[in-house]
Amino acid sequence: MKTATRPEPRPEQRPRPTEPRPRAPQARNDRGLRGRLRSVRKWNVPAGVASLVWLVIVGLPLYVLVLTTLRDRDAYFDEGSLALPGDLTLDNYRKVLESDFFTYLLNTAIVTVATAAIVIVLSVGVGYTVVRTLSRTSQRIFQFFLLGLAIPAQAVIIPIYLLITQMNLYDSLLAIILPTAAFCLPVCVLILAGTMRDIEEEMYESMALEGASQTRVLLQLVIPLSRGGISTVGVYSALQAWNNFLFPLILTQSRESRVLTLGLYDYVGQFRVDIPALLAAVVLSIVPIFVVYLFARRQLVNGLMGAGGR
Amino acid sequence: MGRPGIAWAVPGVLFFVLFAVGPMALVVYLSFTSWDGLGAFPSVSGTGNWERLFDDPTMRQAVWLSIVLTAASWLIQTPIALLLGVWSAGRQKNRAVLSAIFFLPLLASSVALALLWKSLLDPNFGLIAEIGPWFGLEDGNLLGSGRGAMAAVAFVAAWQFIPFHTLLYQGGARQIPKSFYEAASIDGAGTVRQFFSITLPQLRNTIVTSSVLMVVGALTFFDTVLILTEGGPGTDTTIVPYLMYETGFQAYDMGYASAVATVLVVVATAISLLMVRVSGFSSMRSTREGM
Amino acid sequence: MRTALLGSAKTGRRGFRRRHAVTLTAAALATSLLAACGSGGPGESKADTLEVWVYQDASTKVQRDAVERFNKNSDVKAKLVEVPGEGYQDKMRSAMGTPNAPDVFFNWGGGSISNFVEKDMLVDLTPEFEKDAEFKESFIPSILEAGKVDGKYYGVPMRGMQPVILFYNKEVFAKADAEPPNSWEDLLGLIDTFKKEGVTPFALAGTDAWTELMWVEYLLDRIGGSEVFQRIQDGDSKAWGDPAVLETAETIQDLVDRGAFGKNYKSVNYTADGASTLFAKGKAAMHLMGSWEFSNQKANQPEFADKHLGWTTFPALPDGKGDSKSVVGNPTNFWSISSKLKGKQREAAIEFVKTASEDWYAKALVDNGDVPTTSDSEDLVASHDAPDYAIYQYDMVRDAPSFTLSWDQALPAQQASPMLTNIQKLFNKQISPEEFVDAMKALK
Repeated sequence: MKTATRPEPRPEQRPRPTEPRPRAPQARNDRGLRGRLRSVRKWNVPAGVASLVWLVIVGLPLYVLVLTTLRDRDAYFDEGSLALPGDLTLDNYRKVLESDFFTYLLNTAIVTVATAAIVIVLSVGVGYTVVRTLSRTSQRIFQFFLLGLAIPAQAVIIPIYLLITQMNLYDSLLAIILPTAAFCLPVCVLILAGTMRDIEEEMYESMALEGASQTRVLLQLVIPLSRGGISTVGVYSALQAWNNFLFPLILTQSRESRVLTLGLYDYVGQFRVDIPALLAAVVLSIVPIFVVYLFARRQLVNGLMGAGGR
Repeated sequence: MGRPGIAWAVPGVLFFVLFAVGPMALVVYLSFTSWDGLGAFPSVSGTGNWERLFDDPTMRQAVWLSIVLTAASWLIQTPIALLLGVWSAGRQKNRAVLSAIFFLPLLASSVALALLWKSLLDPNFGLIAEIGPWFGLEDGNLLGSGRGAMAAVAFVAAWQFIPFHTLLYQGGARQIPKSFYEAASIDGAGTVRQFFSITLPQLRNTIVTSSVLMVVGALTFFDTVLILTEGGPGTDTTIVPYLMYETGFQAYDMGYASAVATVLVVVATAISLLMVRVSGFSSMRSTREGM
Repeated sequence: MRTALLGSAKTGRRGFRRRHAVTLTAAALATSLLAACGSGGPGESKADTLEVWVYQDASTKVQRDAVERFNKNSDVKAKLVEVPGEGYQDKMRSAMGTPNAPDVFFNWGGGSISNFVEKDMLVDLTPEFEKDAEFKESFIPSILEAGKVDGKYYGVPMRGMQPVILFYNKEVFAKADAEPPNSWEDLLGLIDTFKKEGVTPFALAGTDAWTELMWVEYLLDRIGGSEVFQRIQDGDSKAWGDPAVLETAETIQDLVDRGAFGKNYKSVNYTADGASTLFAKGKAAMHLMGSWEFSNQKANQPEFADKHLGWTTFPALPDGKGDSKSVVGNPTNFWSISSKLKGKQREAAIEFVKTASEDWYAKALVDNGDVPTTSDSEDLVASHDAPDYAIYQYDMVRDAPSFTLSWDQALPAQQASPMLTNIQKLFNKQISPEEFVDAMKALK
């Protein structure tokens, strides 16, 4: 977008978005920075207060959530949700794990990976064409995708239901994967086109001099240099698939093809008044992505930021 | 030098046409039928659904509620995310730890969070029964009144999405060159003035991005509404996507639901066009020019 | 921040990991697509199985037994699909429009299947009942009638009878020194009694509008008699304009104003047992609910169900035209068979649904706490583990001059769904009784 107000630092000097600590050399050498940090802290007092309030708002529900899952059902009703429970139990978790939880998790994993893979493959192709083909058609294609940017997949659930039924895909995981992937494309094409445009012309030229085919250019130049964009696209589409609820709700019904979000919803009917068990299912549904977060925090956060920066 | 042909884009385009554009066209077609969800391809039955749509008080209310919810989401989320984002852009250890905690709600699906909040907001056995009185909610019956239920939906959405927008602002704030602040300090500008004269203007593009995402996101609060309030009490939280779901998949009035859906598609397309206009996404300029 | 991201991507490590990533992606794509195709392949209705759908709750185990027994002696094997209660109706309806439609499925008769009948999607069971007199006579006639659509039988009764009963918490009544209501004045008096005690007079699950519907059904029945709704059910939407409907709506709001349902009813649910828990825990004194409430309480609060759960009929209203012996609710649930079944499969399906008329099936229902709808069950019912309750219920239904099917099941979905919303609005006082009547007349 507009650059007038902000001089663009050279890539090497740019602060990394999620670097948790100041870089060692800067912190050591730059007295001025120390002074600035102090002033930053000062002018952020209102934000600091807000952040403590926010900590309570975020923390209290999570505290109650975890605590409740460790209670027995009757204790939950009798003691109230804030009291420290007398007896802690892991029974609720056992109940959930015995109720097809792993089937749902596996289905969700399949849907997530497949959606991300389809989106990556297709949007790399489209992005490559949009950026490298100088024809009018490719511009039309790009604009065509952009029109879908804000359209929520939910809006077309009725025709999708008709389409999936006619294609004989009702109650299969493909019924969730295909439309979810299609609706990720506009955003992902946009992200990838942006990334690919940053590859310098000279690099293409030197590849061309070597007599490389288009396929080789794509595999050896474009894809490696677009890794940042590709990982953003992957995270974005994976999250869309992971969170998807309406498509599974309408397009699948059997236990065998039930994904985690729908499984959670159905636990309401199954566990009924057993709130601790239901909340244990909620906690368990967060665990897998929490593990991913622990091991790949940077990629996940970068991916999310990238999705926002589209 | 050689350039790739259109062929590379063909699979993506075909896929997009089949599963996204096709359905969008189909939903318009279906809005002129009285399909009940059973049997094969329905045939056109006239403009009855559209006449009904413009005459339907529930639809009018749903449009209004969607606007209210979108506006409320923006008003709640933007200031909080902005403050938290700028604050967490500082590189102190405690801020990093707190940011990691703030991030947690983002890890859960909308369904999981809606279930969590539904049990917390249960007026008889939930957290709100105990802490409601602190806020003047003697009976803890937030979900029982129309405004309360709407507030609850907006709150849960904020709880879920503020971490994401905080992240955007954090990233944005970290890109503001330090020299700007140093210069301002030398000029003797106070912290508040620095915030308004440097931080805010520098984050302008981030604010636009985040706002657009909020508006688009507000169209998808359907999951939260379905689980938390089921559109109720009465129709007081029946936003347009929920009305479409209810008409389509509970009353099986798929024709009318398609008319409602068409309105959603048209509004969303308009928003997309606006985004493309405002942001210049479609131009061939390099992203190096910055967000 | 996109630029920053790109920056980090560029300064990132390149090299061998690149090829690795590409291979991984390709492999992931291939395997997951295969897996996606493999699991739950579409529409493969195998010739030697029957997919049987049932609403999952405390009574499902009888159907489980039925399937097990049936499979022992049949080449075509039945496969039971238990759909969690919340959303059974919606899921079944969605699936019926697809190639994955169930072969045999649980339903409520009436409006819940009328759309399917219109489209010729169900097997007409009339010939079966005519062919086999013993089969037909094994059910209480009024119950069998309730499954009729357009004068033909499409359903075989397969669960207990489910009249709506006024339950009360004996312990709470004892504490307040109160008696269950015999008349409308009694009922109004009890509202004040329990309000003084700090107890909600009636538990009401206001988030599940069908529980509110029960009040409307009984009130209209008592005020205007069962004919008023019969006319509506027969397609006369003008019948909503009957003065009895308006009086019913006014009575509802009068009850709300009196505090009959307390303050929190708008956010109490039934499907997650909210109202039942309030009632069992003594926070509410009475609960108007389907007879399944008994087995529900038995499963969740056995001590309460055994010792403190009382029941009575819905009282008559002063000057009401209705008979206080009339009953509303679900006469029972039915098995229906999809007409896509042919030959051997169809025969097997018919064999399967007939198991619901067998003696052991009725016995299993009784053992499960249900009251069967078979005609010769009086002795059986006495062996119910709560014989008082079972006999009360059996007599109540047998002696009822009319049994009105729950309106949301009697009317087609296109009318039932907006009707429920309007009823919820009526209870929430978001619309006036007059507006309610107008809104209902406008439904088509």
